[in-house]
Amino acid sequence: MAEEPTKAGYAGGGDREGDDEQVVNPWEVTAKDGGKIDYDKLIEKFGCQRLDESLVRRVERLTGRPAHVFLRRGVFFAHRDFNEILDVYERGEKFFLYTGRGPSSEALHMGHLVPFMFTKYLQDAFKVPLVIQLTDDEKCMWKNLTVEESKRLARENAKDIIACGFDITRTFIFSDFSYVGGAFYENMVKVAKCVTFNKVVGIFGFTNEDHIGKISFPPVQAVPSFPSSFPHLFSGKDDLRCLIPCAIDQDPYFRMTRDVAPRIGYQKPALIESSFFPALQGETGKMSASDPNSAIYVTDSSKDIKNKVNRYAFSGGQDSIENHRKYGANLEVDIPVKYLGFFLEDDAELDHIKKEYGAGRMLTGEVKKRLVEVLSELVERHQKARALVTDEVVDAFMAVRPLPQMFG
Amino acid sequence: MAEEPKNGDAVGSGVGGREAEEEQVVNPWEVTAKDGGKIDYDKLIEKFGCQRLEEPLVRRVERLTGRPAHVFLRRGVFFAHRDFNEILDVYERGEKFYLYTGRGPSSEALHFGHLVPFMFTKYLQDAFKVPLVIQLTDDEKCMWKNLTVEESKRLARENAKDIIACGFDITRTFIFSDFNYVGGAFYENMVKVAKCVTFNKVVGIFGFTNEDHIGKISFPPVQAVPSFPSSFPHLFSGKDNLRCLIPCAIDQDPYFRMTRDVAPRIGYQKPALIESSFFPALQGETGKMSASDPNSAIYVTDSSKDIKNKVNRYAFSGGQDSIENHRKYGANLEVDIPVKYLGFFLEDDAELDHIRKEYGAGRMLTGEVKKRLIEVLSELVERHQRARASVTDEMVDAFMAVRPLPHMFS
Repeated sequence: MAEEPTKAGYAGGGDREGDDEQVVNPWEVTAKDGGKIDYDKLIEKFGCQRLDESLVRRVERLTGRPAHVFLRRGVFFAHRDFNEILDVYERGEKFFLYTGRGPSSEALHMGHLVPFMFTKYLQDAFKVPLVIQLTDDEKCMWKNLTVEESKRLARENAKDIIACGFDITRTFIFSDFSYVGGAFYENMVKVAKCVTFNKVVGIFGFTNEDHIGKISFPPVQAVPSFPSSFPHLFSGKDDLRCLIPCAIDQDPYFRMTRDVAPRIGYQKPALIESSFFPALQGETGKMSASDPNSAIYVTDSSKDIKNKVNRYAFSGGQDSIENHRKYGANLEVDIPVKYLGFFLEDDAELDHIKKEYGAGRMLTGEVKKRLVEVLSELVERHQKARALVTDEVVDAFMAVRPLPQMFG
Repeated sequence: MAEEPKNGDAVGSGVGGREAEEEQVVNPWEVTAKDGGKIDYDKLIEKFGCQRLEEPLVRRVERLTGRPAHVFLRRGVFFAHRDFNEILDVYERGEKFYLYTGRGPSSEALHFGHLVPFMFTKYLQDAFKVPLVIQLTDDEKCMWKNLTVEESKRLARENAKDIIACGFDITRTFIFSDFNYVGGAFYENMVKVAKCVTFNKVVGIFGFTNEDHIGKISFPPVQAVPSFPSSFPHLFSGKDNLRCLIPCAIDQDPYFRMTRDVAPRIGYQKPALIESSFFPALQGETGKMSASDPNSAIYVTDSSKDIKNKVNRYAFSGGQDSIENHRKYGANLEVDIPVKYLGFFLEDDAELDHIRKEYGAGRMLTGEVKKRLIEVLSELVERHQRARASVTDEMVDAFMAVRPLPHMFS
């Protein structure tokens, strides 16, 4: 299976030729000509694999429980070596999970929670340890924040992450500014030796005008894939496999990591990748921290949610009730239905809504009403959990400590 | 005074594509004179934009410290500086500063040239009674010499023993290796510095290219940040304005030119520098000292027999080819290695002057000069080896322990 992307690694960036290609990298996601992201093309270009039905069924068999809604609905739709992880698990061996967040703001929206909700499910279903990286150094460098502000945001974001329900006996959260050093730094150097400047230009689109902080960052996000980066957790377990749930825009980091790993005697991490969470205004819109109406935030009240969904959620319904009854809704562009695809657990109910709405028998208002319910419940649950997360709880998750029960 | 070098930063027309060596190349990884000649230090100072260390400064140091200046100062071994006068101003006001020097632990075989900055730094520590941090750049050697992490760390500890044998004060000295110490406040400062230096800039300063790996490209901030007291919270917490003085060989200047450029942009003081010329190879200034050629240098592990043999057989002589010619014309002191080495290591100014006068006039023969050198070097090496033999792993651990130094300024 083609590991390497088909053209040069980098899907656009620096000097893009007139948007005739979509751009997907950790700092930019832009569809071609203001359209939608073509995921088939992306998978082909990146060289990863479609996560098909049979793998989802296999997960259910191995874990003895229904697959997470994100798997069932194809939110997590691509992977690298996920089948190998399942082989490892089936043999009775272990693996560990690694995911992360770049703490650029305090305002998390539902899209930010997606990888964490899914990772919690994976932790519970497979009963494996998890490391969560907060790349405060990255945000300090890319968003030009002070070191202090980046560290502060990392701790604040950690609270929302903890509120997703991770198991403290199996979870280590760390921020780069606090944790980089020792074995982690040794691995950064090992990786950095294997990646030329030309290579990161090709993968990430860096240029000669970029500062050397950016250029030196990729190894920082690569090395949590290696168990030896966490001697307090995985000492003596150098062959422990790693599975990385993440959004597909993070793929370049781990394509690079997988290329380097065998050259430094390490296992390649496996990936399970999600598509992009659409903005309220539609897939062609941009979710932006500076536009509060482009997303549902975890701090929104039920009133906010109702308001945003009703006023800003892009509707695929027809412009009049008559036309709607005649033609039905365009499910391809309808945001409420897409959001329900993420968050409405009940497959049967979702199918029903899609059928009725698509046939024009259900109106936009009903669909939006249902979404408002689902989101309000989710957000309320999150806010309750978040309110319980004290600084002491954060310290506990972030303490460098062994996790004796992490595989138990 | 011109801070920036002339003709763009990189001395030498780059490491990648040099135009037929019409310029000398001086950077941390390469020192090559023009057309196989000698390094032109005047041109270097002008190009780098640092200052000559003049006699009045040496006299000032003696006045302030109440002792004779170190032989390296008297003989112009340490011959250039940046802001050393400011450090003396600070000291004269009763304020403090700290010292920062280092080594790239690329091999176990240290020679005398390697000891020069450490001998001088010990003198500075004793004369000014100030703390000192010593950086062992094991990460750099891992990257440039393609050593394993384990080997780099091992070499760092071995080199630390030779460094400790130079006689540093354990109550005022913190030795650290990057693989052990990078992290926390040190890493925060690395990021702050890295944000201020573009790839283009490091190409200009160090000669990096697009084919270099990102480890090399990311390294300069690692050597920059020990210049900032906030990199050592266990030592200098609350002393953010503490000035730093860096004794080093002049090929390290690019790192600190970069550091001085960045410092004010991140709210830090610029480090001061005091810089030495290059220690010549046994075969002469145009020769290359090389770890793979044991006869190109005197190693700290050499026996008296080795030293006698090397000096007699390989030390380049400025003497004439026959005794008659020598008596007639005298020795060429410009190229004579034994005299140069005595310039570094013979403490007695009067004796050195005598030797130069007599040898230059042809009244003293090469054999005598070499004999004196052998005595001086043998004594030095023996003293070093004795001190080295007493340095245990526990002592290394003690110097490298992350601990406060409560008496570091007394």
